[in-house]
Amino acid sequence: MPRLISPLLLALIGLILFGDGAYIHAKAWLAQVLLERTFERSIATGQAVKPWSWADTWPIARIEVKRIGASAIVLEGASGQALAFGPGHIRHTADAGERGIAVYAAHRDTHFHFLRNVAMGDVIDITRRDGQHFRYRADSSAVVRFDASGIDPTTRDFELILTTCWPFDAVTSGPERYILHATLIGADR
Amino acid sequence: MDAYDTADSDEHPLLSRLIKVGLFLLAQGIAVMLVAFLALLVSFGTSWSATTEQASLLQPGEARSGSLLLKEDGAITEAIRVGTDVDITVSGPTLRARVTQVFRNPTKDWVEATYVYPLATGGAVDTLKMVVGDRVIVGDIKERQQARVIYEEARRAGQKAALTEQQRPNIFTNSVANIGPGETVLVQIEYQEPVHQSGNEYSLRLPLVVGPRYNPAPIVQSVDFRKDGSGWGAATSDPVPDRDRISPPVLDPARNAPVNPTSITVRLKAGFALGEIKSHHHNVKTESPDDTTRVVTLADGVVPADRDFELTWKPAAEKAPSVGLFRERIGDADYLLAFVTPPGAEQAAQKPLPREVVFVIDNSGSMGGTSIVQAKASLLYALGRLQPNDRFNVIRFDDTMDVLFPASVPADATHVGEATSFVGALQARGGTEMVPAMRAALTDKISDTNMVRQVVFLTDGAIGNEQQLFDAITTMRGRSRVFMVGIGSAPNTYLMTRAAELGRGAFTHIGSVEQVEERMRGLFAKLENPAVTGITARFSDTKADVTPAIIPDVYRDEPLVLAARLDKLAGSLEIKGRVGDRPWSVTLPLQSAAEGKGLSKLWARRKIADAEVARTLREMTPEEADKAILALALDHQIVTRLTSLVAVDKTPSRPEGSPLKLSELPVNLPAGWDFEKVFGERQQLPTQLRERHADARNQPATRRPTPAAPDAIRLPKTATSAELKMIAGFILIVLAVVLFVFNRRRPLLTDAG
Repeated sequence: MPRLISPLLLALIGLILFGDGAYIHAKAWLAQVLLERTFERSIATGQAVKPWSWADTWPIARIEVKRIGASAIVLEGASGQALAFGPGHIRHTADAGERGIAVYAAHRDTHFHFLRNVAMGDVIDITRRDGQHFRYRADSSAVVRFDASGIDPTTRDFELILTTCWPFDAVTSGPERYILHATLIGADR
Repeated sequence: MDAYDTADSDEHPLLSRLIKVGLFLLAQGIAVMLVAFLALLVSFGTSWSATTEQASLLQPGEARSGSLLLKEDGAITEAIRVGTDVDITVSGPTLRARVTQVFRNPTKDWVEATYVYPLATGGAVDTLKMVVGDRVIVGDIKERQQARVIYEEARRAGQKAALTEQQRPNIFTNSVANIGPGETVLVQIEYQEPVHQSGNEYSLRLPLVVGPRYNPAPIVQSVDFRKDGSGWGAATSDPVPDRDRISPPVLDPARNAPVNPTSITVRLKAGFALGEIKSHHHNVKTESPDDTTRVVTLADGVVPADRDFELTWKPAAEKAPSVGLFRERIGDADYLLAFVTPPGAEQAAQKPLPREVVFVIDNSGSMGGTSIVQAKASLLYALGRLQPNDRFNVIRFDDTMDVLFPASVPADATHVGEATSFVGALQARGGTEMVPAMRAALTDKISDTNMVRQVVFLTDGAIGNEQQLFDAITTMRGRSRVFMVGIGSAPNTYLMTRAAELGRGAFTHIGSVEQVEERMRGLFAKLENPAVTGITARFSDTKADVTPAIIPDVYRDEPLVLAARLDKLAGSLEIKGRVGDRPWSVTLPLQSAAEGKGLSKLWARRKIADAEVARTLREMTPEEADKAILALALDHQIVTRLTSLVAVDKTPSRPEGSPLKLSELPVNLPAGWDFEKVFGERQQLPTQLRERHADARNQPATRRPTPAAPDAIRLPKTATSAELKMIAGFILIVLAVVLFVFNRRRPLLTDAG
């Protein structure tokens, strides 16, 4: 009988680990479904609507790259909590469509998995919570260290940055980040 | 272990089978429960994965006080610093001050520095000079936006430039662009101000630090138009739209040595033989070259800029002259400045009218430390001075408010005792919501016209929404009179003077506990004696533009100060009024006026204040007021809300391509303030250096209110451990299966053997 304990224990731990990993993906997917609904309501009412009553964040924008059919709902703030559910808008950066630079970050293996497929020249559509719509064009990308992003928060242009961890296929996390830079090309207010 | 196992299974084969089946079922059960549990977790916020990520995540806001601090700690000693030298010359009724700020850049970067500093409320800033090496560049007065554009263009072109802007009548900012590594740039401004007189005493006040202001939160933060296109929406209503321009970083005195060393020299030419001279908050050395002249310097050489400098002087004679008349000719006009002290109240021996006094005391966090002690002592003194037939009430406020009695009560021993213990128990904390307290104080519940209604307001005035307070006084003053008592080492004098002017009262400063009794006695003399009312001024032979436009009532010991622009200097000035119920008049022949300096600037400055007052009183539309102010400011070359001084060195100095850093120079906490009461336990930030590109595509016109930009944006951690966990989990499961199969096979082999 005890010789069965070790494989069972191993199996149990394996199952927990696997389930935990799968849960991250499940949560990321399920949250986006809920957020999509909340976001529609936000646009309709013009109010910040929390996706669930105890959430400490709320949807603020939708990112779409129509060419590759990718879309995600962005949340306010980029805490670990928020990033588990969707891309986060880094605080103290501008809002999309405003003068300055808006920075959105998300996990490379969930919401920004599509970032590797975005090519230079692709149009990135941002719909804000207040219903305003902005079109950006991806014009450059770079790989930087997390603490030396080179992003100039005092810029006077209308800019957007989508960022995620680099390299895309790594299993462990490292200090490098992939940043995709885009500039405003049109607004539909 | 193996041997034991074998023996066990040999002895109880059936039992061992049963256990195996049981364990298998148990494992299955656990697995099912686990999956169910995971599904449940989807609906609950926190999970193991999310919490582990949080620790390594950095937001820009946190990064400023967190890991970057190490780097910046070293930079504190290396950061750009400013030193100030103030040279004041008093000539009779006016003074001229030259403020030299030395910006030294010991860093290896090109720096743009901004420094927020206070000036006297009635001062007219008319000169800006920038000294680079041995070159002196003189600034020009321009409309504010235009000056900003000129400055920004020079900044981007790598030229040295200086810009002086007014943020409040007593708060200014100097911006200096392109200070090279190791370089020193001098920025010099000059202003003209009238000397203040009260009774037998003359004084000047030189503010040295802007105390941290409480800025009430906006009620609506942005414009949200409804989507249906009806055009209805909520408007922006920030009570302090320029909050980041008046909030320099403040150093915690517990952690930093005081900064911004200041030296002061006052050359006093009073025009009469001088008696006692006193500096109230600084140690000074005084030299007396002759009877009418004194040179006052700081005994310690330099002091940190953390409190107002206050100097008072008295004439050697028993009584100060009660009349002063000065003139100056500029262009084709004569300017006149008249001081007339109405006769003292000795002759007004009639019994004073009973009064209703409402005391308002500010017990917000900025009053913490010595200020609250002074305020409480002042209020207790005032309570002791009340007569039994007076009525009174007490209101205290921070971001909350208490009114002691529902309506004003007779000042009998019981009520005064109750008020005394109420005041004695006050603690300083919280924000400064001054407007509701002022409204409550001005609410006239008794409306007994046989009583004089007076509001005595004790505060340091550390708020950024002054205009809201002025609006409240204007709309609600009724028959009440507002007396302001400025408390602490660096009170907001602009708020005190303007509030007292709009409230038709007077103001006084109390800078230390020792001053409480003397100053409060002076204030009570004003409260208890009838004012000189209904004053008119008339020139016999000439057309004159007189300011203040609405001549205020004059309280005991105060002089009436009039400035006028005349077509020709001829005839006389007749001033009439009433002291109590007696008529009073005085006639001054204009020919006897003495030569004065800078009177035109004082006249213009006072006219500008008139326009601002008229705007607050809704007697002028904002557009009319702005037009009048702009014309006066450009005519007389003075800095106002709408005009700035800008100086540009035409020689470019910063090489193209090298970046420019913005440095907002920190200020000291005013002396006697309690840092934690004002800022809570917040981590104080050292000088912020911001990277700024100076390339040509930047828009110069508007300086974007940067959303508290950090050095650089730090990107959060954006990889989950999902794949790692799934792979590890999968490997473990495979391992378990292999082990299980291997373990099962061995007993079978043993059985067969």
